[in-house]
Amino acid sequence: MIRRFFVGSAMMVAASSLAQRAVVEREGSGKISINLAAFRTGGDTASRGFLSVLKADLNRSGYFKVTSSGAALNVVGKVQAGSQMKADVQVYKAATRQRMMGKSYDASAKAYRTLAHKVADEIVYAVTGKRGMASAKIAMVGTRSGRKELYICDADGKGMRQITNDRSIIVAPRWTPDGKNITYTSYKYRNSPCVFMTGRGQPVSKQPGLNAMGTVSPDGKTMAIILSLSGNPELWLISVRSGKPIRRLTKTQRGNEASPCWSPDGNHIAYVSDSSGRPHVYIISKNGGRAKRISSSGTENLSPDWGKNGYITWCSRVGGKYRIVVASPTSRTSRVLETDWADYEDPRWAPDGRHIICSRTSGYRSAIYLLDTLKDSPVALVSGSGDWYSPAVSP
Amino acid sequence: MMSKFLRMCVFLAVAGSLALSGGCRSKNANDADLYGSDNLYGDPLMGDVPLADVDGLPADGDRSVVDPVYFAYDSSTVNSEEAGKVEEVANLLNKNKWQGVIVEGHTDERGSREYNLALGERRSLAVRDYLISLGVDPSKIQTKSYGEELPDNMGHDESAWRKNRRAVFAMY
Repeated sequence: MIRRFFVGSAMMVAASSLAQRAVVEREGSGKISINLAAFRTGGDTASRGFLSVLKADLNRSGYFKVTSSGAALNVVGKVQAGSQMKADVQVYKAATRQRMMGKSYDASAKAYRTLAHKVADEIVYAVTGKRGMASAKIAMVGTRSGRKELYICDADGKGMRQITNDRSIIVAPRWTPDGKNITYTSYKYRNSPCVFMTGRGQPVSKQPGLNAMGTVSPDGKTMAIILSLSGNPELWLISVRSGKPIRRLTKTQRGNEASPCWSPDGNHIAYVSDSSGRPHVYIISKNGGRAKRISSSGTENLSPDWGKNGYITWCSRVGGKYRIVVASPTSRTSRVLETDWADYEDPRWAPDGRHIICSRTSGYRSAIYLLDTLKDSPVALVSGSGDWYSPAVSP
Repeated sequence: MMSKFLRMCVFLAVAGSLALSGGCRSKNANDADLYGSDNLYGDPLMGDVPLADVDGLPADGDRSVVDPVYFAYDSSTVNSEEAGKVEEVANLLNKNKWQGVIVEGHTDERGSREYNLALGERRSLAVRDYLISLGVDPSKIQTKSYGEELPDNMGHDESAWRKNRRAVFAMY
């Protein structure tokens, strides 16, 4: 049994490294050069801030390389700000003078970062036809205050603000599908783990025992959650509105369930179970029934996230290190992302379906990192002033 | 030592028979079918006694009465060497020296925070199952998992981890 397992995992590693190379050659190489030298800014700090955030966003998108001469694309127009900011942005192909995008924007000068993120995403879409990630928000747990509180920042790691001041413990933040609220597990009610949602004073779920890792379905009505109500931690569905249990999906008296996440169509849930003796990733229908195990190699497989691109990413312990796996539940192929010697955990898809935001731990300090599933090197988004971990990316 | 071992055997037999009775047999066969029977760590089959409502019960207690129960890595099995502490708590509760207990489950820092939250709860529940098998009224037992969030020892080696994989008794 164990022998077969190792042979299987060795073959999988070989196959996955081949697949990775093919993907890199097809899509990752050859960034589009883009020149913003002719884009004029006012003398004010908001306008200059806008331009530098826009350039950084375009570089971070993975599709562009910002250059100052001889680019394939030219961005022209201007930005000016008093108390209000006005920006005109046009994107041309250098060779043919074909206009790919032309738009005017108005915003409060204080919101110059938000506006720059929006413009960056619109340039990515106009040129590549793909969704960008610059406007996404990252929720995470931070220890800066000496307690474990909930924080939110922009996708570039800037604009950090503290959301909770509960002086309790926060675990497992997740965005609601409308991107307006965050569900999280906290001990602020009876010193017990209960599931809360921002904007609601009362817990969403406060059953006896464990209430944790609540994740709202794409239609906003149902929450997948881990409850120990039945005498063992199991995966349940509850009503978001009333908090009442709807259905228990697992019955594993020898194991724990953890970390549910929804398929993009809301019909399935991927989650972790250790009922085989080690934690692995499974998929189950929202109606219950037979669960299907999708992870095979690695001594621990944890914390899955199902992207709108159809791929599931999770964290796998490989060779004594936590690494990030990307897998297709339909073709049953998977690969391990190239990372350094540190531990990478809690991967979450960015809305562009290309990048993954995760925590990186080295020397017992945790930071939030951006990984590219195609080619680019990992980038630190949030680090220092305490630990930052358990990221959740807005849809 | 021998008597503790015997009592542990009795506990496992009781837990097993609880699970097998009441029409659960087909479910267990189903579990084995779904997940395989390669249970490497031999975690106990849970007794499946639903938790009682805790609203109105104390949310904290005295942690100095009985020492914590310690666990092996990624395991929620109460070892025979640790079983005596659970028996001591059962004795205190059965003699009504205390009204009830909150069993607080903890893990070491390895593994994900979310998985550890479930593992800590399972440790609490394993202790709860053992208490129930010793005759303690289930409504006297609350469970609470802190996962890896409140380590007893802040170190990062096996000696620290061993102290952190624990179930603490908060008596009230």
